[in-house]
Amino acid sequence: MRPLLEEVHLLEAYAEGTLPEEQQLDVAVRLLWDRDLQQKLAGQQLAYRALRLFGRRQLRAELEAIHVRLFG
Amino acid sequence: MEAALLTDRAQTLERIYAKTYPMVRHYVREHGGSDDDAKDLVQEALITYYEKVVFEQLTLTASVTTYLMGICKNLWRQELAKRARQTALTDTHADLAEDPTPDAEPPTASLMAFVEQLGETCKSILVSFYYFGQRLEQIATEHGYRSVRSATVQKFKCLERLRRAVSHLTIEQFKS
Repeated sequence: MRPLLEEVHLLEAYAEGTLPEEQQLDVAVRLLWDRDLQQKLAGQQLAYRALRLFGRRQLRAELEAIHVRLFG
Repeated sequence: MEAALLTDRAQTLERIYAKTYPMVRHYVREHGGSDDDAKDLVQEALITYYEKVVFEQLTLTASVTTYLMGICKNLWRQELAKRARQTALTDTHADLAEDPTPDAEPPTASLMAFVEQLGETCKSILVSFYYFGQRLEQIATEHGYRSVRSATVQKFKCLERLRRAVSHLTIEQFKS
């Protein structure tokens, strides 16, 4: 994967807390001074939130369609 | 049941819905509610259940209908209490029922618009993985990728695009 995508991958694992302890600590330390990385992490977390909101709306629509099909 | 929910969502949800809705409707009718109230409750309960399965790895030991019935009864009690409070407030002419909390977070609608703008493939891959909890193997097959690895790369590409789009939103907010 390209370095940029590797970084997306890394931040995802960091946010999930699934990195090996040493690497987890390493990212935490980098985040202390690296503003660019801080913004990327913040953006990524916002992206996850957007996906959750979007997914929930899609699930609601799927349930509504089921309702109409079965009981509408 | 939980595994089937993720791999075959459409049919599994329909099966659960067909069983649960009539029970909830019966309960709600007997407790002062309408069929529409019952529908709202069942859908809310199913969303709660789905999200618990995906995000908290919930595995039920009791039957799913029992679990959903429990959620619905709770929700309905809360709803009745809320309606009683609202009636009481209207009676005393106090019309400040909702307190207007300022919302510093990016609005829900604009966040969802960024997902919408991604294009079909990215949208579908990301939502399938991050919300619907599908495995990458299944996503690879359904989207015609030759390997799980190429589906994984595509997933991160799409995520990076979304991240860039929403970051723009946060920067814009700081400017104003």
